[in-house]
Amino acid sequence: MNWIKFILAALAVFIVQYLLVGVLSIRLIRPDFIAIFVLYAGLKHGRPVGITSGFMLGLLVDLAGVGSYFGLTSLICTITGYLAGTLKHYHDKMLPYIFHLSWILIFCLHFLIFTYVRYQTLFESDLGIFWMKWLLTASYSFVFLGIINYFFPLRDSARA
Amino acid sequence: MRNLYFFLTKQKDHLIFILALGLSLSLLSNHDSPDLNLLRGKSIDILGHIISPVTWINSMLKLEEETQLLREKNIQITLEMESLIRAGEENQRLRELLNFKNESNLVLLPARVLNSGVSSNLTALTLDVGTTSGIKINQPVITPDGVVGKTILVGENTAVVQMLSDVNFRLSVRIMPSGTVGILRWKNNNICQIWELQKNAPINVDDQVVTSGFSHIYPRNLPVGRVIGVLEERGSFQKIAQVRIKPELSSLMNLFVVIEENNELD
Repeated sequence: MNWIKFILAALAVFIVQYLLVGVLSIRLIRPDFIAIFVLYAGLKHGRPVGITSGFMLGLLVDLAGVGSYFGLTSLICTITGYLAGTLKHYHDKMLPYIFHLSWILIFCLHFLIFTYVRYQTLFESDLGIFWMKWLLTASYSFVFLGIINYFFPLRDSARA
Repeated sequence: MRNLYFFLTKQKDHLIFILALGLSLSLLSNHDSPDLNLLRGKSIDILGHIISPVTWINSMLKLEEETQLLREKNIQITLEMESLIRAGEENQRLRELLNFKNESNLVLLPARVLNSGVSSNLTALTLDVGTTSGIKINQPVITPDGVVGKTILVGENTAVVQMLSDVNFRLSVRIMPSGTVGILRWKNNNICQIWELQKNAPINVDDQVVTSGFSHIYPRNLPVGRVIGVLEERGSFQKIAQVRIKPELSSLMNLFVVIEENNELD
C-alpha cells in the first residue's frame, strides 16, 4: 500500500467535502464524502486502515467546526471503518448480494447513529420526521456513493 | 512476553478499534475542556486562513445577486421609512409623556461566514472575526431577520457559531403580545418549538417571538420568528408553540455579533 498516495487521497476528499458541502446542501442536509471514503478505505485496505482513516478524518471534520458533540464524527467513522474492514475480511466467503447488502447496512448504520445523536429531540417528539431525516441524510450520500460505485466498484475494491 | 506479543499482533485490529473508540468517547465526554477548546480554536484559525480565498471567490460570485436583492430591499425600506419616521416621532412623544428611558443599545460587529462546517448536517458556522475583533465566547449572533446562534469557540481571527439548528441549542423566548415565556429549541428545517408554555396562555398564530432577556447571553426583544401553530396535549399542563424562524440558515453570508449591550439606566 502506498501510504503517501492514500494520505493525499484522504486530504483531497476532506478538501472536497470542505469546499463543496455548502454548495451541495439541500435544506440543511449535506452529502458525506468522508463516510464514502472511509467505506472504500476499509473495504480496500482492511480494518486497521479503515479504523485509522475513519478516526483521523472524523477528527478533522470535528475540528473544522461543529456546534456540539465534538468527537461524534470520529466515533462514527471509526465504527464504519471497522465494519467495512471486517467486510473485506469475509469478502471471499460471501455471496455477492450479501456483500452488497452488508455495505449498504454499514452505511445506513453510519447515518442512523449520526441522525440519532443529532436529531434526538425529533426521535422523542416526532418519530416520523426522525426516520424521514435519517432516510434523506443517508439517501443523499447514497446518490453520490452510487455514482462513485459506478466508476470504482466497491466489490473490486474489496477484492484488491 | 512472547505470547503477549503474539496476542497483540493477532488482535491488533480489535485493539486499534478499541483505542480509537476510547479516544472518540473521551473527546465526546471532554468537549468542554479548555485544552481541547484551545486546540479547536487554533484549528479553525488555520482552516480559516486556508479557506479564505475560496470564500472570497464565492462572495464575488454572489455579489451581483446580492446587489439586486439589496436594491429591492432599499426600495422597500425607503417606503417603510416614511411611516416609521412618523411612528418614531409619535413614540418619542409618548415616551416623554411616560418618562421612559432608552433601555438598551446593541453594539454590533459585522462578520462574514467563512464556512459552514463539514459534517452532514448544519449545526455550526465559522466567522471571519475572532479575539482580535473583540469577540468572546457566548455572544449572540444575529441577522436583521433574527437570532441565528451564539459564539462557542473563538480563535484569533475566527469564531465558531453554534446555530439554532444544533440539537443542544436552547433559547429563552417571549411570545408577544401575550408576554408568555418559554424555551425554544430547533425541530426541523426552519421550524422550532417553544416548550414550557402555560396551557392557559393566550397564544395565536402569527404572534411574534422575541428573546425574553432572562438569559445572560441574549438581550431582550431580539426578533426570533413567528408562531405558526400551537400543539395542545390532553392531560398536559403545558402546550407547545411551533415557530417559523425567518433567517434562512442554509444560505447565510453576513451576520452580526452582538459584542456589547449599553444599558442606560440613569
